[in-house]
Amino acid sequence: MTMTRRERQGDAEREMWSREDRLKTVTAEARRHGEGLKRGIREPWFWVSIALLLIIVPASHSSSWAGTASAPAPIEELRADVQALQQEAEQLKEENQGLRRILASQDDDELYIVVDTESNRLTLRQGNAVLHQAVCGTGSHQFIESETGTDWYFETPIGSFTVLGRERNPVWIRPDWSYVEENMPVPAEHDPDRLVRGVLGKYALLLGNGYKIHGTKWTSLLGTHFTHGCISLGDDDLELVYKSVKTGTKVYIY
Amino acid sequence: MTGLLNKLLLVIVLTPFLIAADGGDAVRDERASLEAMRSSLRQKISSLKHEQDFLLFQKTMYAADSKYLIIDVKHHTAQLKYKNRLLKDMHFTPSKKFPGRGLRQGMLVLTEKVEGKKDRDTLVFGKSLVVQWKQSIVPPQEKGLPSITLLKKELLSVYYAVEEGAPAYLLR
Repeated sequence: MTMTRRERQGDAEREMWSREDRLKTVTAEARRHGEGLKRGIREPWFWVSIALLLIIVPASHSSSWAGTASAPAPIEELRADVQALQQEAEQLKEENQGLRRILASQDDDELYIVVDTESNRLTLRQGNAVLHQAVCGTGSHQFIESETGTDWYFETPIGSFTVLGRERNPVWIRPDWSYVEENMPVPAEHDPDRLVRGVLGKYALLLGNGYKIHGTKWTSLLGTHFTHGCISLGDDDLELVYKSVKTGTKVYIY
Repeated sequence: MTGLLNKLLLVIVLTPFLIAADGGDAVRDERASLEAMRSSLRQKISSLKHEQDFLLFQKTMYAADSKYLIIDVKHHTAQLKYKNRLLKDMHFTPSKKFPGRGLRQGMLVLTEKVEGKKDRDTLVFGKSLVVQWKQSIVPPQEKGLPSITLLKKELLSVYYAVEEGAPAYLLR
């Protein structure tokens, strides 16, 4: 059953010839078809049918686009969309301008004082600008009690205040706690002994309820919590602040 | 004669399509231009809405009796304000997670003032932000939140200035 070398070669040649024959046949058929096509192109009916196809197919496509969900929105819809967005943007722009005007009408160029009781800093500001910053003293957070049961807690009040008055060479009217603190008998309310000069420095700004921004003899304690609730400043800082502000200036203590 | 007829037919057939093709390009151009305009307008509206939100916040706070913070993400600055007055401005160091994806422009509310020993206080704004100083004690449940770090003195000033419920506005 084994094939000789010659026999195997003969089989391969036969197969090769049969392939060539098939190829020739196919090529000849293709040529015939090509010639037919060429002839067809020359015929008017061919062009008429092509024209009909080209008219019908795009028309059917355009009508189907409008009906399908995945198709792009009609251009009219897009135009309307853009117009609506333009109107919305314009309206927002106008509203924002209005809001900015309202905010600007509430802003002013006034000086104001800010006191930070935690870090013991007094800042003179105008808008967002810092005009001057000074180390100050604020309430000691100490508590004392008299024999009669009255007690005091020395704290700088927090909140929004107004400079109610400005004083040169202010006189200190010693309050009761000052006597209690030194274990001294408390004098009558209008006792002239209560009037003390020179301890509050050269200037004072009155904030109401006995609270003031004033000078101090204890300048080494500035930057700490050592006062009975008032805000103490060094002489130079006090003079600058006093001369910069007027009655009505706002003071924000936090 | 037949050749001439064929050429004529070819011209007649192609003419409407050439015209239509030209018209189609114009429509496509307009569509592309309108789509670009729509996208740009949507962005503009979004930015105007953000701006309006901040303006409305300011308007509200100008009339309110509460101190508030404005945190500027871009410039790493924070402002403590009361009504229209600036009380304190500060710089902060952001954490690696700050601002993160979840922290969007808008209002935050101070939900918790955590008082740590030795002034290691912390301010917690819900599940959004922590304001601290270097050695602040941050509660474990808030440790993963984005945070900003102020100087100790500044943090303490702010800590005692604001109450729980105080608003902050985050600007991005």
